Amino acid sequence: MSLKYLQEAVAAGDAEKLIRYVRLHLGDGDEAAGRVEINKAWIEALKLLLDVPPTNREFILQTIAEQDAATLAHLFFHLHFYFVRRSGDWIHDGEL
Amino acid sequence: MTENSDAAAQLRPGLWATVNERYPGSMITKDDFVPLARLRRPLSESRLTFVSTAGVQPKGSLPFDTVHPVGDYTFRRVASGASPRELEIHQLKYPTHGAARDLNVIFPIERLQELATEGAVGSLTPHFFSFIGYNMDAERLERTLAEEIADAVVADGADVALMSPA
Repeated sequence: MSLKYLQEAVAAGDAEKLIRYVRLHLGDGDEAAGRVEINKAWIEALKLLLDVPPTNREFILQTIAEQDAATLAHLFFHLHFYFVRRSGDWIHDGEL
Repeated sequence: MTENSDAAAQLRPGLWATVNERYPGSMITKDDFVPLARLRRPLSESRLTFVSTAGVQPKGSLPFDTVHPVGDYTFRRVASGASPRELEIHQLKYPTHGAARDLNVIFPIERLQELATEGAVGSLTPHFFSFIGYNMDAERLERTLAEEIADAVVADGADVALMSPA
């Protein structure tokens, strides 16, 4: 999708076009695969917290407080791929 | 490549035949016509550069941003005398099975070195140029990345550029 297409979707409030783009991006052009990938990342993140291990909340809160929203959005995409890779089920043709 | 992917799985039958269906709005039309420049001297006397979207980069350099939803608009200089062992690929969108075995299939650096040694081309520029092709902002791609690479190619004294999509 071109950026113009996405910007028009934002202006029109067309959430379906936007989330479809995310699915296509995360699924390497396969929307159904993208849905699975999103689920996979969240499941992996959830599994890591089930035993309530100690986590660095200070780091998390400091990062959220100090970093700009675009950086956090970028981090969000990085984290998606981090958890997908961690799941061991890597569908992508290439490497990060 | 990982143990979960293999060559057959990477072929993705039919995927690229439906790009516009899968990525509505992705087809870019260009009305501008830029004529190809004529060689000013024979290839055997020309300095050649290589521009690639393969996402090849020197090991240890900042990895291309393969996760960004709108793309990465930076490029890397790759020393034309480098060995494939000194290079690595960072991209998600094309099969790397073959390139993992022999980088030359996607970034023919050793073949170009050989052509220069044999005299088929006069010489190579000090650097080749690499970026990733996943860029959704065509305007930024043209106005920023393409311009910067063009400037770098000129600065390297290239007479001719071999350009290859991944």
